Amino acid sequence: MPEEKTIRVLIAKPGLDGHDRGAKVVALGLRDAGFEVIYTGIRQTPDMVVRAALQEDVHVVGLSCLSGAHRILFPRVVELLRRGGREDVLVIGGGVIPEEDVPFLKKSGVQAVFSSGTLINHIADYIRENLPAGRQA
Amino acid sequence: MSESPCQFCTPLDVRDRDYLQKDGFPGEYPHTRGSYAVPVYATPFGEVLEGGVVAPRAGQYAGYGTVEETRDLWRAEKRRGANIAFDLPTQCGYDSDNPLAEGEVGRAGIAVDTLDDLETLYEAFEGLTTLDGMVSNFTINAPCNIILAMYFALAEKKGVPMAKLHGTPQNDILKEFAARGTYIFPPEPSMRMIRDTITYCSKYAPEINVISICGYHMREAGASEVQSAGFTFSHAIAYVQLGLNAGLDIDQFIRRFTFLDFGGGMDFWREIARARANRRIWARIMKERFGAKNPRSWIMSGGDTIFVGPSAYTLQRPLNNLVRGVIGGVMGYLGAGFTFGGFPWDEVYGLGHSYEARQLSLDAGRILRYEAKLKQVVDPLGGSYFVEALTDEVEEEIWDVIRKLEDVGGAVEAVKSGHIQQEIARSAYKFHREIETGERVIVGVNKFTGEEELEVVPPRLVPHPYDPKKLESAAERQLARLARIKKERDQGRVDGALKAVHKAAKKEDENLVPYFMDAVKAYATVGEICDVLRDVFGEYEVPSIL
Repeated sequence: MPEEKTIRVLIAKPGLDGHDRGAKVVALGLRDAGFEVIYTGIRQTPDMVVRAALQEDVHVVGLSCLSGAHRILFPRVVELLRRGGREDVLVIGGGVIPEEDVPFLKKSGVQAVFSSGTLINHIADYIRENLPAGRQA
Repeated sequence: MSESPCQFCTPLDVRDRDYLQKDGFPGEYPHTRGSYAVPVYATPFGEVLEGGVVAPRAGQYAGYGTVEETRDLWRAEKRRGANIAFDLPTQCGYDSDNPLAEGEVGRAGIAVDTLDDLETLYEAFEGLTTLDGMVSNFTINAPCNIILAMYFALAEKKGVPMAKLHGTPQNDILKEFAARGTYIFPPEPSMRMIRDTITYCSKYAPEINVISICGYHMREAGASEVQSAGFTFSHAIAYVQLGLNAGLDIDQFIRRFTFLDFGGGMDFWREIARARANRRIWARIMKERFGAKNPRSWIMSGGDTIFVGPSAYTLQRPLNNLVRGVIGGVMGYLGAGFTFGGFPWDEVYGLGHSYEARQLSLDAGRILRYEAKLKQVVDPLGGSYFVEALTDEVEEEIWDVIRKLEDVGGAVEAVKSGHIQQEIARSAYKFHREIETGERVIVGVNKFTGEEELEVVPPRLVPHPYDPKKLESAAERQLARLARIKKERDQGRVDGALKAVHKAAKKEDENLVPYFMDAVKAYATVGEICDVLRDVFGEYEVPSIL
């Protein structure tokens, strides 16, 4: 079991979507659950998200999008992380994500998608249980 | 009043009230009991439920893929009004070919890069109506005056006088900083451009509603009913000040200020009290603070729509949202506002409601109105010990929010420092904590979720006329349009017009609308014009609040 304090999470808003209620609530909730959380703010390109993730050496990247651009932006973040040599970062997502897009996102490397109505405790548990091996500080 | 689980009120709760000062009659100052003596009810789909002459309406908010596709859909629907959803790049002042626009072009609305896009879109109305016979609503904020300039240019080309144009651009930038997020420039130059809208339209396009002041987005972003009201009024005060500073007469220019609405949640009694308090607060602000003399100026025009907002809807057992929507409709009648049968239950899946869900929402509104006859009396709760006392209490809470913002320097300062954003984020988190701890019950989400419950998900079988597969390639088609225009236009003319915008932007007292008109007529893009403005004004620096 990793020390909770050492789990670092980047909550990011790729794209131009300004609906950041969920991102902020999850960021605050995970912080209260003992994680170290960095929030990027809105209007990030996938490149900016990945740079922040590498710079902050995070264990988890949580992506939020409500504009419908997730099919393009989420896989791009995963791809850029891989190119940066960081397959060991757990990528999760949320927002308004149609159920039929979830298999596609999972195939693209987004390991879990949390929809509206998810309790943060549930996300916290998921992160603790699914950190890639070798990343458990 | 909120601590006790159950309570009752008595005449003691409303003693010493001056009826005419506090309540008045529906349609009269201070409007607690209603903006109008005889309210008109309409639906978000443009259906006007009461007989008589039907004023032109903008119709349902829409925009699918490219302008051609939306044009064809609107034509097929025989629309006579435009209520345009712009995609996020357009709203943020980026062209479709900007790398930042990737993935967003034609989503959540249409891309408008140049005047050519608007020209194509308005082909939808040819033979059905003319620009002076229709209403156009533009959900656009930071680049509002550029889109307005396009509309004026379009009218000029069609030979329709600007003075005969009807419509409403959203143009409420403060709530973009506070909650919605499609800002571009820093607050001061953003406010200057709203001043430009007010002064330009009051002179040349007096039938255009220059602004639609919104509480909705802040409420949806997590603000409480009291915060959303207080912030909205603080924003409104800042906008009114722009007109006054420009030397205009309040009773003249306030005619063209409208409100969108304040959003709404499931807290039934407080929402009703909030709606009643709002009308009274705005009447007092206009009459007492700003000295408006025309009784029409005391009415919170358009701000009186009462409903349960979609953030109260749940993805779990989603047909329950129909019930939530109907509760909002009942609140509307009891709060003496405008209302409807609620947003379609499938709003939780994103925009693009199914026809089945739309039908049910329409019917819900009809049932409230025709079967239950809720419209029989205006402000049925007027005089209720409980509701009047709660209205007073909520009113005082809203004034507190307004006063607090004035203490930190007013609305513009408050969005610069991040004060409003922080307050909203705190409330959003508090709300979520209450769900997490079970203190706030959401049926099917944090309670009544056992195995014995049935997950009811109704099918949506009637196909939507816009095939979502087309969205996948919409960006490609829009990029081709933009490339063609850039190739065909007179580049020298574009450069000249952009240079003129640059020069004018540097002079604070210059009205930029005429310069935007020259630029858009030369087919300069929204992104090019915004880039020039970014160069002069800079960009909004987001305060860190988490």
